[in-house]
Amino acid sequence: MNVAVRFSPADFAPVVAEQQLQSISRPSLSYWQDSWRRLRQNRRTFASLWAVVTLGVLTVAGPWVWRVDPAVQDIDQISQAPAWPSSALIVPSYTPWVAVTAMPTRQGDAVTNLRLAESASTQAVRLVWEPVVGAAGYVVYRSVYNPAPDRALGLPIGEVLGADQVSFEDRLGLEPRRYWYSVVVTDENRAEQEAYAVLVIDAVRTVSAEDAELRGWVEDASALAPGEQIGLPYHPLGTDYLGRDMLARLLYGARVSLFIGVVAPLLFVLVGVVWGSAAGFLGGRIDQLLMRVADFVIALPFLLFMILFKIAFGIGPGESGVFPMLVALVLLGWPSTARLVRGQILQVRQEGYIAASQLLGARTGYLVFRHMIPQTMGVILVTLTFAVPSAIFTEAFLSFIGMGVAPPTPSWGSMANEGIRTMLSHPHELLFPALIISVTVLAFNLLGDGLRDALDVRMRGRE
Amino acid sequence: MIPAGDAPVLHVKDLCVEFDTHGGVVRAVRGVSFSVRPGKTLAIVGESGCGKSVSVQSIMGLTPIPPGRITRGSAWLDGIDIVRQKIVNGEDVRGNRIGMIFQDPMSALNPTMRVGDQIAETLQVHRGMSKRDAFARAVEVLALVNIPDADARARQYPLAFSGGMLQRAMIAMAIACEPDVLIADEPTTALDVTIQAQILELLKELQRKNGMAIVLITHDLGVVARMADDVVVMYAGEIVESGTVDDVFYRAAHPYTVGLKAAMPSRDTSKAVSLLPIEGAPPDLFRAPEGCGYAERCSHAMALCGPHRPQRFEVDPGHHAMCWLHHGDAPQRVDAVYRGGRT
Amino acid sequence: MLTYTLKRVLQGIVTVWFIATATFVAMHAVPGDPLANQRATNEQIRLNLEQRYGLDRPVSEQYLVFLGGILRGDFGISFTQENRRVNDIIRENFPVSATLGILAVAFAALGGILLGALTALFRDRVPDLAIMFLVILAISVPSFVVAAFSQLMLVDINAYLGFSLLPVAGWGTLRHMIVPSMVLGLGTMAYLTRLMRSSMLEITSADFIRTARAKGLPPARIFLKHQLRNAVLPVVTVLGPAIAAITTGGFVVELVFAIPGLGRYFVEAVQQLDYTVIMGTTVFYGAFLVSMVIVVDLLYGWIDPRVRLE
Repeated sequence: MNVAVRFSPADFAPVVAEQQLQSISRPSLSYWQDSWRRLRQNRRTFASLWAVVTLGVLTVAGPWVWRVDPAVQDIDQISQAPAWPSSALIVPSYTPWVAVTAMPTRQGDAVTNLRLAESASTQAVRLVWEPVVGAAGYVVYRSVYNPAPDRALGLPIGEVLGADQVSFEDRLGLEPRRYWYSVVVTDENRAEQEAYAVLVIDAVRTVSAEDAELRGWVEDASALAPGEQIGLPYHPLGTDYLGRDMLARLLYGARVSLFIGVVAPLLFVLVGVVWGSAAGFLGGRIDQLLMRVADFVIALPFLLFMILFKIAFGIGPGESGVFPMLVALVLLGWPSTARLVRGQILQVRQEGYIAASQLLGARTGYLVFRHMIPQTMGVILVTLTFAVPSAIFTEAFLSFIGMGVAPPTPSWGSMANEGIRTMLSHPHELLFPALIISVTVLAFNLLGDGLRDALDVRMRGRE
Repeated sequence: MIPAGDAPVLHVKDLCVEFDTHGGVVRAVRGVSFSVRPGKTLAIVGESGCGKSVSVQSIMGLTPIPPGRITRGSAWLDGIDIVRQKIVNGEDVRGNRIGMIFQDPMSALNPTMRVGDQIAETLQVHRGMSKRDAFARAVEVLALVNIPDADARARQYPLAFSGGMLQRAMIAMAIACEPDVLIADEPTTALDVTIQAQILELLKELQRKNGMAIVLITHDLGVVARMADDVVVMYAGEIVESGTVDDVFYRAAHPYTVGLKAAMPSRDTSKAVSLLPIEGAPPDLFRAPEGCGYAERCSHAMALCGPHRPQRFEVDPGHHAMCWLHHGDAPQRVDAVYRGGRT
Repeated sequence: MLTYTLKRVLQGIVTVWFIATATFVAMHAVPGDPLANQRATNEQIRLNLEQRYGLDRPVSEQYLVFLGGILRGDFGISFTQENRRVNDIIRENFPVSATLGILAVAFAALGGILLGALTALFRDRVPDLAIMFLVILAISVPSFVVAAFSQLMLVDINAYLGFSLLPVAGWGTLRHMIVPSMVLGLGTMAYLTRLMRSSMLEITSADFIRTARAKGLPPARIFLKHQLRNAVLPVVTVLGPAIAAITTGGFVVELVFAIPGLGRYFVEAVQQLDYTVIMGTTVFYGAFLVSMVIVVDLLYGWIDPRVRLE
């Protein structure tokens, strides 16, 4: 810095001080503007804010857009995994099949030429084969997997007696999927041979015009002709064990779960704020009394009393059980908010600006609304945001153990409960409600985190 | 700065410290150099934000390194640059050869540890003493700093101590290993006036006994007058004036120092004369000024002060000021103002 | 320290009384006939049953009998299983639940403190980010889902390995206890990790840590004796309610893993409206929780001397 510079006398002329000495270097922001700005900058939090808003939109508008009744059972598509829309082939109504006979001419252990008599459909699967000399009868097995040598052949679905009976019609609960049929020869003692013949078929979904009309897929059966395709009701997320549309149940369930999850916290936070403000503000004996009551309620084992309240209020037939749960949540949830708010108020009361404001002549009401409540708003907002996932969890948990909303009212928790039973065979029934519960809870948690950081007074202006 | 013959016990050279913040890079310390003579007290004076705390904390390695950064500089303690290297022969020099006490004693001690244990810690770590021996010595040190009933006090927790006593305890902790240098960062600012006097007395007494050098950071000129042998005045991250306490007080050579003195009440000031505050505020260190940092507020500013950073001029032997007013070509009448500091 | 202890114990007793009263009130507010599912075929049997359970007395007297029973430690006789005393039911099944709960709490506390300290140590580096990601996941997934999925995974693992690494359900040996207690403690552990992390970060910038560094103490010592010790305080505070949460959340884990604990019994009693069992279990659980909270408070008082001197 010590560059040898030659200065002229003009350099030493005094400077007239006219510039602003106390200029404001950066524009000032209000508390809320500053918080909002910091919230926006935190990408994770902002994303969760969007997620929460989206959930809200889905809850309110969802059932309007996806107009499917969550209580309607689609018998044809029970426990179906999410798939593309399926259709069925129109076929004539079922007509009985005449059994086929043929004289055995060959020797052997197993039948040969096991084949379909006509194309396999969900209406019937008709098998024929070549008989074997020495057979007293045949047993037909059906399996949903390939009966390799060391595996069982499957479900025995029928037996025919007589060496010359070479046909079998299967109508037992056929679904549009792949089946493996095995035919085994039996001797006169009805003991089965080791060897067997296997045929793999894919059953095509079919329905008769009359059935289609019965199920409400079409107004008038005469409008349909055999050979046409008719679309089945589409279930983008599959169906549950009773054939109810998963998406519709999730959307209606959202209403229940989020209703409880948002309204209950709103209510108990409200109660807590009033209670805590009164205690913090009035102080003295009243404060002690109010807080004793709050402490007692906190001491009650939460879940036990949730259950007790639920029983106490009872669920009559036809009621959904939402209201009792709401009441129970509010009754047990308010004390922690009350304590929090009270603590904040006590802290704020000691701040210098309150005394200063009072000295300037401020009245109590003004102090409360203009100074204290805004200071506590941050804490209240954060509490609220964290209370929502907690309430959703509690509702899900209670529904899971059967203490929640009554069927058929869907809620995410009860859906998870039902889904657990078929977890191994149809995982989608558990996966979807579990996933959406997790996503919702995650979004609210992240939002709460971000809100807390954004509203944290100590971080204000630390840039 | 250094009277010939006295090798300084601590010599800081051209220290530069920056911070990365959301608003940009703040250059908090912009080329600070000073020396501390053995057994003497150096006061670092300046207003809040001038960089005095940052300077010494950086030397002690207490500045959080992201977002902070020491871009340049060295601090020589007994032949070792402790900015680069704090561990010598496996031993940390901090708490050992150079100690530090802080402003707020209430928060500066671990609330969940007994006071005696906290003092004993340094002895265990640096002197390898056993727990029992270290504790016994800690009690002795507490007595040394005039805490009555030292044995009982050593077994108590910080919350049982008053502010003044805590500060004494902190001093005890810092000198337990008999360091060569003690840095005191505004040790009395948070205390009552009467306690202030006691603490300062204590420091002086310890200095006499141990021959310890003290670096005293303060914004209170009264404390400076009382304690300091040498003074360094900081403004906007730079040292604007340095010299002995007499130099700075009676022969102030920088407009800022003069301004500080004028703003300070003293017994001599008659009621008719009002205190003169210095108008304005220190510069925003996000955009460090090109020239003299004080130029905006200086009533004697000249045309070259804004664009050109002043050189360091030796006004008297060992007395330096960073001000263009001491350039050979500067008007002489202004120069006279500064001798004696009267308008 | 002694007065502090006495004060807390006294408060605890009052709280338990309140819990008992609230339970009593709640149960007597339930609509319906408590004896509806008994085999009260005729009037005589019904009267006998009423007498046996004390239902023929006025409510206030029933209340006093109830309280008296609690003081003596007698919770009466089960409604649905007339030969069993509620005390026996509790005595047989509670130890199982307690073991499960304590293991879960230990897992949660130790894991939480350890992981939280690690994240603070490796702040913003890979271990920190990885742990926090897992933590957020663990907090968001409902406990029953975790229980079900872990069971499923265990089945698959066992099938893959060809032998049973860990039992999938049931109770009895130490190996039975591992997975259920981990599942039960997972949510709380995640929560405690976050708490510990923020506490550590707050402490790191505290003044007394700066003093410790200025004293030239080795970083390990600062970490253990100064940071950890102070950062653990909020975690210990929360431990009381955490124990409560874990104990009541034990129902689900007991259900899923077929563990013969009190929680499962409680759910059954609720479904069958077995009044005495419900009341007895609730009061017992309440008393247990209150005493746990007191123990935790005392622990806190031991660690942080500031609390004792209030």
